Amino acid sequence: MALIEIDRAWIGKEFDHSEFKVKQEEMLAFARTCGETDPRFTDPAHPDFQAPPNFTSKFVSRRILPEAFPYLGARGFDAGKTVEVLGPVRPDDTLTAHSKIADIYEKTGRSGPMLFIVHRMEFSNQDDQPVSVVDWRLVRQPDPE
Amino acid sequence: MILDLHSHSIKSDDGRAKVESYCQWIRKREIPIDGFVLTEHRQFDEESDYRPLEDRFGILILKGSEVETDYGHVLVYGVNEDMQRAFDFGVINLKLAEVVREVERSGGIAVPCHPGRPTVGMVAHYEERGPIEGVRVVEVYNGGSRTGEDEASLALAEKYGYCGIGGSDAHMVSQIGHCATKFERGIQSVEELVMELKEGSFEALSWR
Repeated sequence: MALIEIDRAWIGKEFDHSEFKVKQEEMLAFARTCGETDPRFTDPAHPDFQAPPNFTSKFVSRRILPEAFPYLGARGFDAGKTVEVLGPVRPDDTLTAHSKIADIYEKTGRSGPMLFIVHRMEFSNQDDQPVSVVDWRLVRQPDPE
Repeated sequence: MILDLHSHSIKSDDGRAKVESYCQWIRKREIPIDGFVLTEHRQFDEESDYRPLEDRFGILILKGSEVETDYGHVLVYGVNEDMQRAFDFGVINLKLAEVVREVERSGGIAVPCHPGRPTVGMVAHYEERGPIEGVRVVEVYNGGSRTGEDEASLALAEKYGYCGIGGSDAHMVSQIGHCATKFERGIQSVEELVMELKEGSFEALSWR
């Protein structure tokens, strides 16, 4: 029996899409913040200038969870993002991100039972070329009894 | 023979290390272990074949699992089809008594890990609900332990007469080999590991 009951039918259904315009100054600021030194990411004059690999992790969709998604408790935290790079992101690209729940799973830790919800954003550019997949792990914990 | 008996690769949801990267790190940093066991969370990784890496680096790579029970997390060695039919590795509130019994029946050994850790270690549960029959080995050194947790594990082992193992609980490359287990005899397979844990001579090591 699961500690937190949730319908796994939520997995795989697209629930949001968003569009993002990529600005060169934002790419440079992101690269600086990450401590990048590779001129591919820091020098707009470089012939292969592009955003750092984790750049798309900065974008957030309009909805974090699907509409009518069940209440899972007030406690929780951000368990981080992983980024799979599929292609370069260039200045003035227009990225479209489609959001879905990629996985829901439970585990236990020092603080008790946790439910992990993986919010996946699949990014493609204006040419319909996939550029990255970002998995954002959100943790929810049941309210104390 | 020294083996790190508790590690996770990117096959685990929170693992950030590739198995090849562990091997490279062990050789580059001259970590004094002869091999490690991958104990992925709530699953048994049947598909991965690490023999090419074993040959390339001269490191023994075995596979087990870390499952979750009502008494905390438990390492399972000697996983086979019979064992996988006996209980669902993905369920997070398995009964420890059942896990110990079924693992033993199917030829493996269950080893509660980081027993001194709150919630997911067995010390607190023992205090509340008493000991579980059939436990004979526990992890007394864990690379992820906070102050006092390994001490609580050691005290539990001494109180109940359990043997102790060490494991890094590595999730990142640089954590591999922080804790390990030294066996008197050589080990080349999971079957030999299980036999040594049941009947052999070994001691837990920590370099933390």
